[in-house]
Amino acid sequence: MRRVVPFVVLIAVVAVLNGWLDQRFYVRVLTLSVVWALAGVAWNLMAKAGQISLGHSAFVGIGAYGFTILLRGGGTSPWTGMAIGMGVAAAVALVIGLPTFRLRGFYFTLATISFPLIMELLVSHYGDPELTVPFHPESEWRFMEFSNSHTYVWVGLGMLVVALAISELIDVTSFGFALRAIRDNEVLARAVGIRTVAWKSAAFMISAALSAAMAVLWVKAVLRVTVAEEVFGITVVIVMLSVAFVGGVGQTWGPVVGAAFLIPLAMFLDDSIGESVPGAQELVYAAALVLVALLIPRGILPAIEKGCRRLATWPRTSLEQAGPSLLERLAAPAPRPSPLLRMPRRPLQSRLPQPSDTPVLEVEGVAKSFGANRVLSDVAFNVDAGRRVGIIGPNGAGKTTLFNIMTAHLRADAGRIMFKGVQVDRMRAPRRYELGMSRTFQVPQGFHLMSPLDNVVVAAIGASMPDPVVASMAMLERVGLAGKALGELSALTTAEIKSLELARAMVSDPDLLLLDEPLAGLNETERVRFFETVDELVSPHTAIVVIEHSVRSLIQYVESVVALDEGRIIAQGPPGEVVSDPRVIEAYLGSRWMEHARDQ
Amino acid sequence: MVEFLQFLVPGILIGGVYALLASGLGLIFGVMRVVNFAQADFMMLAMYLSWALFAGGFGLDPFLAVPAVFVLFLVLGMAVHWLFIRFVIGKRENHDAQVILTIGLGLIFQNLILIRYSSEPRVVAPSYANAGDFIGDIFISRVRLYAFLLSVLVAALLFLFLNRSRTGRAIRAASENWEAATYMGIDIDRTNRIAFGVGVALTAVGGSALVTFQSITPFVGFRFVVVMFAAVVLGGLGSVSGAFVGGVLIGIIQSVSQVWTSAAVKNVWVFALFLLILYVRPNGLFGKVQRAI
Repeated sequence: MRRVVPFVVLIAVVAVLNGWLDQRFYVRVLTLSVVWALAGVAWNLMAKAGQISLGHSAFVGIGAYGFTILLRGGGTSPWTGMAIGMGVAAAVALVIGLPTFRLRGFYFTLATISFPLIMELLVSHYGDPELTVPFHPESEWRFMEFSNSHTYVWVGLGMLVVALAISELIDVTSFGFALRAIRDNEVLARAVGIRTVAWKSAAFMISAALSAAMAVLWVKAVLRVTVAEEVFGITVVIVMLSVAFVGGVGQTWGPVVGAAFLIPLAMFLDDSIGESVPGAQELVYAAALVLVALLIPRGILPAIEKGCRRLATWPRTSLEQAGPSLLERLAAPAPRPSPLLRMPRRPLQSRLPQPSDTPVLEVEGVAKSFGANRVLSDVAFNVDAGRRVGIIGPNGAGKTTLFNIMTAHLRADAGRIMFKGVQVDRMRAPRRYELGMSRTFQVPQGFHLMSPLDNVVVAAIGASMPDPVVASMAMLERVGLAGKALGELSALTTAEIKSLELARAMVSDPDLLLLDEPLAGLNETERVRFFETVDELVSPHTAIVVIEHSVRSLIQYVESVVALDEGRIIAQGPPGEVVSDPRVIEAYLGSRWMEHARDQ
Repeated sequence: MVEFLQFLVPGILIGGVYALLASGLGLIFGVMRVVNFAQADFMMLAMYLSWALFAGGFGLDPFLAVPAVFVLFLVLGMAVHWLFIRFVIGKRENHDAQVILTIGLGLIFQNLILIRYSSEPRVVAPSYANAGDFIGDIFISRVRLYAFLLSVLVAALLFLFLNRSRTGRAIRAASENWEAATYMGIDIDRTNRIAFGVGVALTAVGGSALVTFQSITPFVGFRFVVVMFAAVVLGGLGSVSGAFVGGVLIGIIQSVSQVWTSAAVKNVWVFALFLLILYVRPNGLFGKVQRAI
């Protein structure tokens, strides 16, 4: 219901304006507001994954040129042309996206800039810099040749509603969860089974297709001529950026708010002073971008929501006074149903069975160098199902690098990793997680824009669990975080963050749990409590590998220890033997101390 | 062969100017991890300044105006940093804000110039604008040669500044690891401000070097944005010397491509190379290996 109201409001407002306005200029303003809202919604789909594209005019250009060429060549209906353009744009998006999606940070943004530039140059030089759209008065609907300019607004409104519905649908399904997780912390997202490249590609393709559709409406209703400089131009991207950022970047309704505010402002300004001030429109967008960047980087909508929430909770001093709050209702045995979160992918049951005779993990001859710095050489050990293994070694011994290689955050130079009897070296991080390999991080990682509950839900989605929210809530209860499930991540203590990491790593019931320095930052009681919690959570089949500097706590917990020094295994076996091995003592304390000890 | 050299030599000459333009962008990214999308518009402003000094009654030769351009844009860059950029530096969430802020600032520059000077192309034509010398069969344009020599001189000065002066070393330290730099008592805000000022001024000087053979419009920056990014990425994001090598390479490719395809699409080669580098070696030709976590 809450999701339907904005649609009703949007349709009502546009309908009233469309019926009431009759001056040509005003109808034009309304049409362009709808067109750019649509463009912004399309662009924003990529921003949901935190990806800022500066190349969307490539798709607008493809849409515009595509339908114009088809219409001129064979009299193809613009609707068919639109569908074909959308398909081509989606395919091009895949080609553009795939190489860049492996990279993080600025690279996607930088790479996207050049595509429309290349296309514009090629089209202008080898094709036609300008194509008129032939006039087909014989069929209004077939050729989108409406004599009544209000009809374009209706068509645009219809397209906008469809685009918004797609965006809403993404928000409430695991697709949206995956995109938000990627935006928040991509490394972690991959570690909990989110196939980042696939999700980003899907979002980019939908976004490109909608941009191409918008182009047809834009050309038919407003431009009437397809000009390479215009449809491939940077201004297209600037307006998309402006309406999306002003309204709320990544927010479904953001571009609608942004367009409703910016487009009329820019057009009225241009109409009144455009003669004497040629750059007035662009200055509106530019000023909007600068102001948003400095004042409300997340846009108007989130700012309003924040204000409303503050108003709504104003009379209460704390959540405890709010009576039986959402938190308590959630913690109660009846969890909320989540039919929309079901994943279409293969369920958890189909994950590889554990062969009874082979170890869960076999590490064979693994080596890794960073440049000339050799970090691991010929590391080999096995872990059987249900066993607990500790990895010790001084700082820089290569322990975390070893974990990163096991979970595919790094690739080994040599050697192989067998997991449940299957070679996993060439599998990427999300796939290994799906197979049942789970980890925590030396520096605790989290999705900071999400609640603790959603942090775990992402991991449950990554493991294709049938009911992620229920499973996650149950897991939070077991680690004692049920009361904080919907709070802010930043409000958690160090011990609670460690518990959350554990809940996230355990929600998929993994066959192999990798804990990287889980006790760091915990006090004596919390340390004892931590391993107790682990034991309560793990199934008998789960093997555990722990990196830990606190050797005393570790040897009480594990059944065998692997000692690393300078990238080599110097001892392995039962904990008592390994810690009394002279080579281990030397690695930890240095040879001088050894001589000193021998003298005593 | 002569035809090839006839394109190669101007390519190297213009490449030197690209190197200078890109070094400013590279310096700013290296120190504060900000991709400054307004960088090419600072270049455009400097071109208008050179034009105003030359055509506006002073008759000042654009090459002689370079020191004034440098100082003015150093101050302008520091002011823009103090007024805007410093508010969006640091936090990871600020990435989006940096992109839209610098794009917005660039647009404001363009449109203010458009309002003041219209979109009519302006040219700066000193008396020697069409002069040149033959070395063997290769014609070398005088203004392009001067532009190249100026770029080399500024590069040498930049090298001295970064390696010898206290501030320059602070900039390099901050570029290497700004957190460690703060522990060593380096005022990071001041270092950022100076780096932004110097970065803007370097690109501005590059703009002054261009005016003698590049007509000026408010939107001239567009065609240089990707050239600069390409040079910086080619040399490795954040490396000033890498940006220099990248710039020269871009100049050569742009020019030599005219042996095979029309001059109108010479930038397609640059953009394609830019993409290729992003895909194949995102850390640049000399980039360091980065650790995942």
